[in-house]
Amino acid sequence: MIKDLSLSLLNTYKSAINSYDEVLDAKGLVKPYWKSLFETLETVGLEGIELRNKDIIENLKENGVTYNVYNSENGANRAWKLDPIPFLIHEKEWQTIEKGIKQRAHLLDLILKDIYGPQLLVKNAIIPAELVFDNTGFMLPCFDLKQKLQNQLIMFACDMARGPDGKMWLLDNRTQSPSGSGYALENRTVMAKVFPELNKNIYRNRLSPYFNHFQQTVAKLGNISNENPSVVFLTPGLGNETYFEHVYLSSYLGYTLVQGSDLLVRDGYVWLKSLEGLERVDVIIRRVDDEWCDPLELRKNSLLGVPGLLQVMRMGNMAVINPPGASVVENYGLMAFMENACKFLMDESLLMNSVATWWCGQPKELNFVLSNLPRLIIKKTNRKQGFRTQYCRLLSSAELEELRQMIIKNPKEFVAQEEVSLSTTPSFIDGKLEPRFAAIRTFMVSDGSDYKVMQGGLTRSSSVKDRFVISNQLGGISKDTWIVTDNPSEHFERFVVKKNTNASQNNSLTSRNAENLFWVGRLYERTMSLTSFLKIVLNRLNENVNDKAQKQQAYLVVLLKSLTHLTQTYPGFAEENDDAIFENPEPEMFSLVKDIKKAGSIAYNIQSLLNTANQVSERWTSDTRRILNLLEDSLQSLKNTSNINQLSHRLDKLYTRLFAFYGNVFETLPRDNGFYMFEAGKNIERILSLISVLRSAFSFKNNEEVEAVILEAVLENHHLLTQYRHVYKSQWSLVAGLDMVMLEKNLPYTLTSLLDRLSFCLSHLPKSTNANRLGIDEKIVLEASSIIKLIDAENLVKVDEDTQYRSELDKTLEQVQDLISKVTASLSSLYFSHSVIQHSLLDTIEKINSDEI
Amino acid sequence: MRYKLRHQTVYTYEEPVDNYQSVLCLQPRTQDSQICHSFNLEVSPCPSKIHFRTDFFGNSLAYFSLHEPHLELKVIANSDVEVLPKAMPVLSNLTCAEVRQMFVNNRPLKVEVLQYQLPSNFIKWDDEVKEFAASCLQSETPFYEGVSLLCEKIFKEFQFKSGFTTVNTPLKTVLKERKGVCQDFSHLAIASLRSLGFAAKYVSGYLETLPPKGKPKLQGSDASHAWISVYVPDMGWCEFDPTNNMIPNERHIVTAYGRDYADVAPMKGIVFSSGSHKVKVEVDVIPV
Repeated sequence: MIKDLSLSLLNTYKSAINSYDEVLDAKGLVKPYWKSLFETLETVGLEGIELRNKDIIENLKENGVTYNVYNSENGANRAWKLDPIPFLIHEKEWQTIEKGIKQRAHLLDLILKDIYGPQLLVKNAIIPAELVFDNTGFMLPCFDLKQKLQNQLIMFACDMARGPDGKMWLLDNRTQSPSGSGYALENRTVMAKVFPELNKNIYRNRLSPYFNHFQQTVAKLGNISNENPSVVFLTPGLGNETYFEHVYLSSYLGYTLVQGSDLLVRDGYVWLKSLEGLERVDVIIRRVDDEWCDPLELRKNSLLGVPGLLQVMRMGNMAVINPPGASVVENYGLMAFMENACKFLMDESLLMNSVATWWCGQPKELNFVLSNLPRLIIKKTNRKQGFRTQYCRLLSSAELEELRQMIIKNPKEFVAQEEVSLSTTPSFIDGKLEPRFAAIRTFMVSDGSDYKVMQGGLTRSSSVKDRFVISNQLGGISKDTWIVTDNPSEHFERFVVKKNTNASQNNSLTSRNAENLFWVGRLYERTMSLTSFLKIVLNRLNENVNDKAQKQQAYLVVLLKSLTHLTQTYPGFAEENDDAIFENPEPEMFSLVKDIKKAGSIAYNIQSLLNTANQVSERWTSDTRRILNLLEDSLQSLKNTSNINQLSHRLDKLYTRLFAFYGNVFETLPRDNGFYMFEAGKNIERILSLISVLRSAFSFKNNEEVEAVILEAVLENHHLLTQYRHVYKSQWSLVAGLDMVMLEKNLPYTLTSLLDRLSFCLSHLPKSTNANRLGIDEKIVLEASSIIKLIDAENLVKVDEDTQYRSELDKTLEQVQDLISKVTASLSSLYFSHSVIQHSLLDTIEKINSDEI
Repeated sequence: MRYKLRHQTVYTYEEPVDNYQSVLCLQPRTQDSQICHSFNLEVSPCPSKIHFRTDFFGNSLAYFSLHEPHLELKVIANSDVEVLPKAMPVLSNLTCAEVRQMFVNNRPLKVEVLQYQLPSNFIKWDDEVKEFAASCLQSETPFYEGVSLLCEKIFKEFQFKSGFTTVNTPLKTVLKERKGVCQDFSHLAIASLRSLGFAAKYVSGYLETLPPKGKPKLQGSDASHAWISVYVPDMGWCEFDPTNNMIPNERHIVTAYGRDYADVAPMKGIVFSSGSHKVKVEVDVIPV
């Protein structure tokens, strides 16, 4: 009975196989390591696997693992999909595969050097000249770039799948900035956490040696120009499809994540614009495509690159991984000439087959392709031509004819490939194990003259049954990939020892990130102070349920107006002589919470906070990221709130989460410039919002009972109510209240203490001029602080009898508000000067011509 | 002929520019029929260093960057160039059809000229361009003569008009309006030739202009110029000036060769600034 059960999963799976499958060997027997995996799966059971699957989804979400899909309708981010069933390859087979892909890496490196060098391949007719000169990856300015290691191709990734002969076939090459290794690592981490028993009876190789090799190569390249090299990871930014990976890898490897605008070329070097000034950069690991790297010499409208980058490379003052121009060997047409190129350059045959490829630029090949069209796959020779790979067997005869005409018109632009049958592998789909087509991406890094292969990879299985749709863009599912060994492998980890490691230098704060952290502080506090104040108003409103068509209580009118002033969502409650809105304030209250299009609403502020926090996600701990996800949940639930009880409840929850966010950041952020920027932002916002409420509450005198209730609310807004009651019991005096709210030194939410904290933060930021003098920002705060500290509360409450206006109070607060608003501008000019617009100047002769010829 | 060449470019900016990166392509080439005896650059504000290099086409480029805020940038290139009389090679009688066939069959030739047969940054064509070219370059016409006919056609049918086109004006517009400057005419001629399978380069340089009879030559009255170079089998690269319908001679000074203007623009730059800019160029080609 038990024995039967233990085989049921495997047997069910076997009966579903309708192609050749990874689980079975050539004789149709189950491979022993798959058997032991299935045994473990059996003990867990399908329901157990389902639970793990949910865990995986939860974990990936918490870690913020996403893959951005261009042009997707609901927001940019798509959650990464990870199958709980890994992909297994035995070490013995892997050794053969390794030889094949290492040879391919060497070959592509040689081709790259030949194309940007003697061009013997073209001169000797090994590859057609079109595939070099009519190749969008061939960039003339890259011709004289030579980095100092023997291999120019430092990173390399290739996709492969098992062909009908049972061997792995090479499907595609990635040479400019291969992505995926970070996802592979994250997959492994999540699987180990969620499904630890899975590898109990199976030994597998580790991924980390690959990353150590990578760090060593980076250090080697950096050491050419600097004993203690500084390394940056260049990303196109948040909009990029693999941005998560850029954040993840840069922080795992310990490199500063930067965008093009963070870097600058000067005096023959590349510099990082940090808060403390310029820092020299020795190695750039780039995720920006070739042609976008340098607007001066390549694509002139690129804002993602660094003008002058190629010149610095030419001088040998900095290295780039991979060097721009590497995309020339990604051309699909070259695939057809690999065997000949291998013989010519390496004097050996290819060890691993590529998918049969025909370049239509040759008459014989063109004829073959045209007469076999229905069974082929058609691609454009040059990548990124906005042409989706065509599986001819799926085309209607009209579509096929259209394609045929396209090929005949410009044969050189097309490449045909055989549609090979691929192996299937068990995948967990809708609660069952199903065979699905899969392909593996493997990763290699050069140590200078030879390639090291990651002991694993990124396997993706098809999202559609019996079809081969593995691209992340189209919803492919990824799998952890195990190189299985019979014995536990001895593992020697070699760490890169850094000389004179200077911690601050290795994690520089770019001025762009300084600004982002400043705004995270501001937006956090903006959301927080609005949430607190809304809760206060909501409580008052609930205590005083108002019959329709009855005049609203005067204190509520004041508080509601304060809400509009605080959020600057005019007209709102600030409309003069509109009683209707006060009689039924709920619609406006709701829109202040949930209308994401209304600038100033809670929803709008949370969204801005999340966007800005994402820009600096490499600074957050995993817990902080988890809390950011919770804030996103809060945003969704607030948007769906329809009644007032729900609203209070959800605001409470939001308040707690915001506090958790702040607490986490405060406790974990290193006490460097970034922290002081963040705190300065928070304090500025807090001062401004408290002053806004104070001014709307008391600038005009109301009768005493009304003012007493308002004072109570204001004190609550400053978290001072308990304190006040303790001192003054139930005696409501505006003078006493204002005196406490402004002057008390030891209470955190008073203006005096907030201004002190603000100057403290500013004093910690780097000084551009004399370190022993106050900066302009500090002077402004000093002035504001003096004004507050010198007030006399008795004087402030004086009222003009005619207008009921408290001019002394209002003017004083206005003055402080204006001063504090100026601090942001002065910080901008001191520290955030990175955002100057870049233009390309390429003048036409027409403008230049002064006279006709 | 020997010339003193002075090419001055002045940029004035509305807002201060504090980061400027530039590549210059201003140094006359030294080659068979031309010797550049001396070349120097005066740049103000003065960059800390100017780096020279030779590009893929053998042109000499200069790179510099500026980092102090400035409102004006002045670049003066001074050269002393000698242009030698060109010996006219024996005219080739190969017809257009024969030449086209050679490009297909002769592989070393193909490798050499392919990049000048393909579309490039500023040179793309359609059937309209092809049609425009076809009447001059018929299969049985001797190729060299065909190219001359093409240049003559452009010279006769197009009006030289500065200010009408910019560097980004598509050839289609030039063809439709029949107006443009030397750069447009060269691009059009190149596109015409490439559209029919021939190989043509863009030549950037200068032409000495002669003042009206009896008047002195004014300072800054010359200009940079552009023409084309066409590969004629048995003759090699032959230059033609479609703007003036002439064969370039001792008055044409070559600065650079490229696929089109984008490869050889005299001054490319990236500025970081929030304002707009103006540019003024003065060229003097003085015979000595």
